[in-house]
Amino acid sequence: MLQVEKITDDGAGTSGSGTRTDEWSDCLRLIAENQDRAAFTRLFRHFAPLMKAFALSGSTLSANHADELVQEVMLKVWQKAGGFNPDKAAASTWIYTIARNCRTDLYRRLQKFDTPLSANDVAENVETEEAFMALHQKRSGERIRQLMGELPNDQAQILAKVYMEGKSHSEVAAELDLPLGTVKSRVRLALQKLQIQFDRKNHA
Amino acid sequence: MPKFHPELDMLTDYSAGTLPLAQAACVSIHVTQCDHCRRLTSQLTDLGAALMESLQPEPVGEDQLDAVLARLDEASPLEYDRKVRSADGTPGILQRLMRGDFSDLTWKNVGSALRISHLNTGDPQHEFALYHIRAGGRIPEHTHRGSEMTLILEGGFSDAEGSYHAGDFIFRKPGDVHAPTALQSEDCICLAVLDAPLKFTDWRFRWMNPFLKLRTA
Repeated sequence: MLQVEKITDDGAGTSGSGTRTDEWSDCLRLIAENQDRAAFTRLFRHFAPLMKAFALSGSTLSANHADELVQEVMLKVWQKAGGFNPDKAAASTWIYTIARNCRTDLYRRLQKFDTPLSANDVAENVETEEAFMALHQKRSGERIRQLMGELPNDQAQILAKVYMEGKSHSEVAAELDLPLGTVKSRVRLALQKLQIQFDRKNHA
Repeated sequence: MPKFHPELDMLTDYSAGTLPLAQAACVSIHVTQCDHCRRLTSQLTDLGAALMESLQPEPVGEDQLDAVLARLDEASPLEYDRKVRSADGTPGILQRLMRGDFSDLTWKNVGSALRISHLNTGDPQHEFALYHIRAGGRIPEHTHRGSEMTLILEGGFSDAEGSYHAGDFIFRKPGDVHAPTALQSEDCICLAVLDAPLKFTDWRFRWMNPFLKLRTA
């Protein structure tokens, strides 16, 4: 399923002002400003197949539910495009959070989980960063995308299980027949390589 | 700025969307108040996006695209503005769950120093409750059958391991014993999320389970 060794740069670039100038951010802007259906169609052709792969990675969703999820996510992308700010998040990160939240809500609906809260209510808000932090954030986002390709397979595999398949560390341990400690340390090592760690020094 | 934070493992589960709802709600309040954890979480979310982009795409038919295009004119559903704090500083998500403010809550007194109000998140495995400890009040020593997540909303408390203030996030594992005492200067209000209590699977003890049931509603 995963092509961890072959992550290519999606062509995203950053202009001098720090404004993201990649194709997907442009599409979102065109949707927000002009309700541009052609831009939406381009976005759909790129992201819908990834959404579907993401929906099916969780393995418990039927093909029908996966299709339903793809439609729901893409519709939300259209409806919420006005809230996307290219200075604060990468388009793909923004779209990923919508997909992740919708998938969690769908799981909960299917389990007849009755709650006043949606996954979006308890999610981080990628749109609230202050300007300085946002720039810092975007740089680390780009760095993470670049470093991903250098992760050893065993680490990338576990990250994929946690994020794409939505499994807890202990579920991953049981599935791969590894001690829980091994799973946790692989996740930690991977995050270290991606330079995602508690930074006590710069801890404001 | 808070000094005590969720572990990286927990933030990873949070950003992967796999943390149980009641725990995610608690972590989200800390994250909105903590620049440091917000930065980490957003990097972890970038990681999720990068993993999604590296999936092998699954073909999606043109009929799917047409179906979505046909629905684009639908009105967007209303969404709560979840990040707004009320005038008294109550996090948005708690306002939603409380359906009002602190004065509207039903409290249950536990001894003279502590009162507890349960909120319903719908999470069947976790109890989600506000604890109000009187200034200087001491909670009797207790041990945890499961895990306990605590987020201080106002005031602070101390126990053998340290002292904690507004925004601090503390996670106790099963078996940890402590006897927190609220700071002398002001009342302490915190949010506590407890996971499932002991569950006896041995038939000889099963009869006890109903008495150990968690309050999740």
